[in-house]
Amino acid sequence: MSLQHLWQMSYDSHTIDILRNSKYAIPVIQSFHLFGITLLLGSIVILNLRLLGIGFRQLPMAALSRQIWPWAIGGLLLAIASGFLVFVPDPARYAANYAFRTKMVALCVAVAFQFLIYRKVVRSGTAESRSIRNIAVACCSLVLWFLVGWAGRAIAFLG
Amino acid sequence: MSVLSWCHWLQNTPWATGIRQSDLWFPFIEGSHILALSLSVGLIVMFDLRLLRLVLPTEPASKIMRLVMPWAIPGFGIMFVTGGLLFFSQAEKAYSSGFFRVKMLLLVLLGVNAVVYQMKYYPSMAEWESSETVPRGVQVIAVVSLAFWMVVIACGRLMAYEL
Repeated sequence: MSLQHLWQMSYDSHTIDILRNSKYAIPVIQSFHLFGITLLLGSIVILNLRLLGIGFRQLPMAALSRQIWPWAIGGLLLAIASGFLVFVPDPARYAANYAFRTKMVALCVAVAFQFLIYRKVVRSGTAESRSIRNIAVACCSLVLWFLVGWAGRAIAFLG
Repeated sequence: MSVLSWCHWLQNTPWATGIRQSDLWFPFIEGSHILALSLSVGLIVMFDLRLLRLVLPTEPASKIMRLVMPWAIPGFGIMFVTGGLLFFSQAEKAYSSGFFRVKMLLLVLLGVNAVVYQMKYYPSMAEWESSETVPRGVQVIAVVSLAFWMVVIACGRLMAYEL
């Protein structure tokens, strides 16, 4: 089954008609998308201020990341689930939108970076002090996640 | 002059018209308003979660407050400036929106909530911040803050959808 086929199927589905035809369904789901973003980006900001050595320095990096991580994951899952519900009623529109495509690519890169590289760095003892590597990792994380955010906002402005 | 006619005048000032019609400034200001949620509400949420002992329960609450506030306050500064500019550019429609009015009312109530915390519980934080039982009033304030911020975000999204 091709992606095209999947979009057509979801476009034709009657369950999704409810989302499409209700005046407030989409903005309410988008509000949940924003709750997830607030939780995710809030967590990302805290971890990166600590990794940059400019905030939250009185908390050990290992303990901070252990405590904040589950909230970041929770925010991410909420944002993905609600984002999916915004996407399915109108998949063709989103698939054709360059900002949406950029967002999806950036999201995949950000998630991969966060789980494969970032997690290892913050859990190693070397994340406590300021170093070129820690600053580079923090900047990558911030740029990737805020790129996802800005690309998401741009979807609306690119039609 | 009524509020509505003041809003009409405000959004027709050259600056407001400039923002509204700009293909660059309007998305930039709106995007900044949304992404600064991370620095403002995102950090306050973490402090509320600490008050409820759902995050960093072994760290004193006053310490988390001291670490969060230097970043949350500029975050709210960005929200206030960008939000003000967005209002400025669409004052008449915003003022007429029920969602906008609920949002403003809840922001005032969140301010009252924060003042109550500062006056009633902040001075005695040393007594309870490290214990496992947080005063009931503190829990109520944290839950009210979390719930109201969620409604504020939803009202912001809903009013933008109608504009």
